[in-house]
Amino acid sequence: MAETDRPTTNQFMSVEQYLETAESLKWLLTVAWLLPLLGFAVEIFGGYWGDRHNKVASYLAVGCIGTGFVCSLIALFTWGGATHWGHPEEAVAAAEHDHAHDEGHAHDDAHAHNDGHEHDEEHAHAEEHGPEHDDEHAHHVNDPYSAAFSGSYYMLGQFGDLTVSLDYYIDGLTIVMFCMVTLIATCIHVFAIGYMSDELTDDYEDHFVHLPGGKHFHRPGRFYRFFAYLSLFSFSMLGLVIAGNIFMVFVFWELVGVCSYLLIGFYVERKSASTAANKAFIMNRVGDFGFLIGLMILFTSFGTFRFANPHPTERAVEPGLFQMLRGEHGDLHIHGEGREAEVFLTTATGDHDKSIPYWLLVTAGLGIFAGCIGKSAQFPLQTWLPDAMEGPTPVSALVHSATMVAAGVYLAGRFYPMFTPEVLLVIAYVGCITLFIGATIAIVATDIKRVLAYSTISQLGYMMLALGVGGWVAGLFHLITHAFFKSLMFLCSGSVIHGCHHEQEMTRMGGLRKKMPITAYTMLVGVIAISGLAIPYLTFPFIGNIAFSGFYSKDEIVATALTHMSLNPVHFLLFLVPLVTAGITAFYMFRLWFMTFAGEPKDEHVYDHAHESPWVMTAPLLVLSFFAITVTWGMQIDEEGHLKPGYLVNALLTAEPAHVGEGLTEAGILGLSLPGHHAVHEYHATAGTAALIAAFAGLLISYLIYVNRAIDPAGIARQLSGTYNFLVEKWQFDNLYDAMFVRPVHIVARWPQAFDRNYLDGFLHALCRCAVWVSKWDRAFDERVVDRLVNLVGDVTFAVGRSLTVIQTGRLRQYVMFIAVGVVALFALMFVFMPTL
Amino acid sequence: MTVQQIIDGLINGDLPRAIEIFAPELILCAAIVLLLLVRMIFGVQRIPACWVALLGTLVAFTGVFAQFMYLKTDLSITGVADTPVEELAARLASAYHLTPEGVGSVGGFFTDLLMHDQFTLFFRLGLLLFVVLVIALTVLTGIPDNDDGPDFYTLLLGSTVGMMLAVGANNLLMIFLGIEMMSVPSYAMVGFLKGRRQSSEAALKYVVYGAGAAGVMLYGLSLIAGILGTLSLPELAGHFVTVMHGETFGPTNAAAVTLVLGIMMVLVGFAFKLSLVPFHFWCPDAFEGAAAEVGGFLSVASKAASFALLVRFLLAFSGPEEVLHGLRVFLGIGLAVIACLSMTLGNLAAYTQTNVKRLLAYSTIAHAGYMLMAVSALLIITDAPATEGWTRSQIFYQSARAVEGLMYYLAVYLFMNLVAFSVVAILRNETYSEEIDSYNGLVHQNPATKLLCLAMLMAMFSLVGLPPFGGFFAKLQIFTSVLYAADLHWSMWVLLAVAGANTVFSLVYYLRVLKAMFINPEPEERRAIQTPALVGTYIALIALPIFLLGASPLQSDLTDTANYVARTLFR
Repeated sequence: MAETDRPTTNQFMSVEQYLETAESLKWLLTVAWLLPLLGFAVEIFGGYWGDRHNKVASYLAVGCIGTGFVCSLIALFTWGGATHWGHPEEAVAAAEHDHAHDEGHAHDDAHAHNDGHEHDEEHAHAEEHGPEHDDEHAHHVNDPYSAAFSGSYYMLGQFGDLTVSLDYYIDGLTIVMFCMVTLIATCIHVFAIGYMSDELTDDYEDHFVHLPGGKHFHRPGRFYRFFAYLSLFSFSMLGLVIAGNIFMVFVFWELVGVCSYLLIGFYVERKSASTAANKAFIMNRVGDFGFLIGLMILFTSFGTFRFANPHPTERAVEPGLFQMLRGEHGDLHIHGEGREAEVFLTTATGDHDKSIPYWLLVTAGLGIFAGCIGKSAQFPLQTWLPDAMEGPTPVSALVHSATMVAAGVYLAGRFYPMFTPEVLLVIAYVGCITLFIGATIAIVATDIKRVLAYSTISQLGYMMLALGVGGWVAGLFHLITHAFFKSLMFLCSGSVIHGCHHEQEMTRMGGLRKKMPITAYTMLVGVIAISGLAIPYLTFPFIGNIAFSGFYSKDEIVATALTHMSLNPVHFLLFLVPLVTAGITAFYMFRLWFMTFAGEPKDEHVYDHAHESPWVMTAPLLVLSFFAITVTWGMQIDEEGHLKPGYLVNALLTAEPAHVGEGLTEAGILGLSLPGHHAVHEYHATAGTAALIAAFAGLLISYLIYVNRAIDPAGIARQLSGTYNFLVEKWQFDNLYDAMFVRPVHIVARWPQAFDRNYLDGFLHALCRCAVWVSKWDRAFDERVVDRLVNLVGDVTFAVGRSLTVIQTGRLRQYVMFIAVGVVALFALMFVFMPTL
Repeated sequence: MTVQQIIDGLINGDLPRAIEIFAPELILCAAIVLLLLVRMIFGVQRIPACWVALLGTLVAFTGVFAQFMYLKTDLSITGVADTPVEELAARLASAYHLTPEGVGSVGGFFTDLLMHDQFTLFFRLGLLLFVVLVIALTVLTGIPDNDDGPDFYTLLLGSTVGMMLAVGANNLLMIFLGIEMMSVPSYAMVGFLKGRRQSSEAALKYVVYGAGAAGVMLYGLSLIAGILGTLSLPELAGHFVTVMHGETFGPTNAAAVTLVLGIMMVLVGFAFKLSLVPFHFWCPDAFEGAAAEVGGFLSVASKAASFALLVRFLLAFSGPEEVLHGLRVFLGIGLAVIACLSMTLGNLAAYTQTNVKRLLAYSTIAHAGYMLMAVSALLIITDAPATEGWTRSQIFYQSARAVEGLMYYLAVYLFMNLVAFSVVAILRNETYSEEIDSYNGLVHQNPATKLLCLAMLMAMFSLVGLPPFGGFFAKLQIFTSVLYAADLHWSMWVLLAVAGANTVFSLVYYLRVLKAMFINPEPEERRAIQTPALVGTYIALIALPIFLLGASPLQSDLTDTANYVARTLFR
């Protein structure tokens, strides 16, 4: 056992167990991934030829994604069993116990490994700093590859040194994402059976499409198509998560983009819907341009697209991107200063014979992050997301809040080892700006879905900010919790819209909690969760703190941001803005709830017709609200304000890149310091309290304005009309882009158009006239020569055939004579043909 | 050999083996007797004749099948059954009491009057299968009616016995006997629709024409026998070489000219049975007058038997000597000319026909021409002298391929012609018409007619020779053989060109029928066409092989078997 190599038994399991786990995880997740594709194929063809009235397509889709969820869940438990839910100490203890009877070489390895740990454990005991330090020490030496499994399904092609293949990369993050996506997707599929039921008809009347003559547009229902698209999306999203290389990520990245395009434009006859679909697609292309640049840099400098290639027994035969770039402890091998700086890469031989200029690495990181900006609707490409609400509400819940838009955050997290501190700072600021813009616009929005859309933008900003300030776990943790409560809220809004007959303006609602209690109270769960409200210092046995999932994740983010500020006082905004926005979040979310469900009905007509949705829609709400509360199960804050991570966080921690846990000091060109776990713990109590105060303040203001009516919102709008209009106009972004890009492009496009019309078209027309002239001649030739020849042959054969029947006279006498004639003729022929001497 | 010697030989050594081999024919004869007895004793109402006939044919069929498998799986030699097929063969063999000394030993029987080998067995097998299918068809279409049943099936089975004798003929006398035995009952069958004047007229023409052709043939046989001094086929070649005294084959040689005259006159008899130009005149009239079921039987069965006989007769003149080679090339070219004439006339004359059966009659003339190409190529290739540049194994291989092509073609032709005639018969029962116009827009009427039209489409496409149907591959194989023969004699190029052109010609009239069925508008008023499910099943069952024998593993099974059989001819 060479000391330089990784031990053959990693910190969680033995080699045999590793290989076994890898195989079962691979098959489980592959089945979960491919089932929706099968569903899509069946639904899209079966539905096209099938009856528009039956719901088979939806049952099939639910079946596929539901089975996918079951597979994912089994995978989660398989993985959890193998890794002891991210507690390596338990694994080591178990290994010790097992190997007491076993004299194999694995025993020595386990022992050696354990020896290596003893020092750390003593260290931890010496400090005696509470239970969380066990975890901390575990992640000081976190090896993300020990609980990760990768491999290749199929090689697509080889270009020089570069192999492009279908790979998988499975670690804690992948599995958690799989469970989250499949669970939420299942709920939303079920919800959609109810929500889309009015499409179950041969003659669907679209009330939003006005035809001349005051009529509405009629078309066949598209129930099956909706579910086919949902299935395709599920497949693409899962493919994106399981992808083992950045190229495959790009492929599925675009596939989810296409699905998003199809689903936003589901009501394609509505102009607003088709425009919104185009907008989403084009804005994403802007980001993808950067993504492509990043891909090219990786291709030329690294010669591989794979993330990492963990191997249980030896050094990776072909190291992936992360393994090439960073050493075992997550360190970069930087040589040189300033512009000359270069990063050396570890290749398969273990040498540093490849290198990449530091600035190029920064560019690659920024390029990939540009893709994330587009997909996650970050500043400055955030404008497409609110418009995407034109799609049916289940789509907004699944695609545009819980999964696809979070894919940007997911990729930023997955690609974290490739980001230098400079890139992380950019990420942090982009997130910071986004979360503020989103939250401020949400204050004035009145469309229930748009409030949620801006809230989504803002929350995605939080996640990006968290990643940017070094809180890898915090960002992805918030991704998961947010997915649950935001999809819950979207479905609730869908239920409201369904119940109010497609009324989306909150100004016409109010008091609906009496009419639709389940929707109202599940929505309240979501609102509390996103606001981060809790009573953290009361600890009950078994239940723990009274706190919903959002509280913990937001707490983590704010704590990390505060620590970051303490290390880098220059970037104080990265703490203050999210803190203030936490208050704003609570304000606009409760504003939404109060305006919709509390108070007196504002529009009698809407109120009278409102009704609670059927069970098929409310049941998913209940399921999701349960998870919105409990997804952080096991997390707790003790009396001293220290956080005990739950199962979810521990699972994520195993996938955390090696360099995050300890933090950085004075790294990169800008001399940034990033907080490690230990540092964050110091500030946790302070940050948590501050965030909670902000949230309660937001709640209070909201209550005063919209329930107590102590303050008149219209008055404020009047007094601050400038700001108000600025916010209503969405910070003027659409107008700005219109002036900056759309109109100039139109003007520039007019020149080529004129050139096209006057010169190119003229040329082409002349060419066409030539071709027509030639073909006229050709036709004449065809008609007069070729056709006549063919007709002649035909006529001749036909005439011969007719004349041949003449000898068939039907007279027996002649027939018998023909025997004689025939024989004689044959004699004659014989003498003609017989070979002469 | 005196008569006494023959009788002695028959009784002493040959008889048990001969009976064993001849059992299927005897079973058929027994069925005929039974048919007549049943009518006398029980009457036709209690035991319909068709079931007796069907049973007799099936038993005979399984008997022949057992014989064939007995030889093919080498059970007579090894006696060990490994595969399920061999297992089945072994069971059948024991059921029919087959012995290595009897069926197991290939060679002449009944004092060499008849030949027992794989080639004979293959054709007997095909004939019996076809007769089973035809009887099934007659049961379904109800022709003949119950009272005439015994007569009709007696004729049918009698004709079949004649054909089976013909394919086994090993003697000039047996050739004549076989041909006559299969012809005479068929005259009566053509005239079986007693009420129709057209039918009786057709039968009369057929009889008189047949009598004329038979006369010429018999004269030819006597010429051959006279000049060569033997009636036995295997001895013909040797005697001819002796008669020639080493002289070259040519028009100045009296023996050669006389022999060629004799052979040619025999060929006239064959040409009559095969309806080759210029001895085809009976064919359209007879087919139009006869019931479609009878037409189907004549077009396939008598043709297959005659081709087997033709191949055996001509191969009697195989041998390495120069004289024989000259004779074969001469005959080959002569057959090529007749083939060209037949297919061209058949195809062109079919253009203007309005009656489907008449059209199919011309189609059979053309197809006889195509198949004759294989025989022509065979004559050119077989035992070609080494000076032509072919190795012995090449010649052997290509000869076998030519015979294999013919056999494969006949097998596919069996199904495609049967389908065509069956559809005509079924539609006749419903529309009372056999005109092409009566098929207008038939496909639109109901699922049953859709099935019929589809079956017709497969049959017609296969008859034209369009892939992926069997007709295409059969034609391809015969054309390939001709192409190889063209390497030996230039005239084959002409044959090939004419055959190619004819394939194009034939497209026109086949598609006319399909156009009527699929494209032409349905007439305003038409009686609803009802087809029982059983009929539909039957049609589907016989139409399927057209496709399966073309584009499925069955094709290679069939061609491999045919190849195996053909190889035994040249051993």
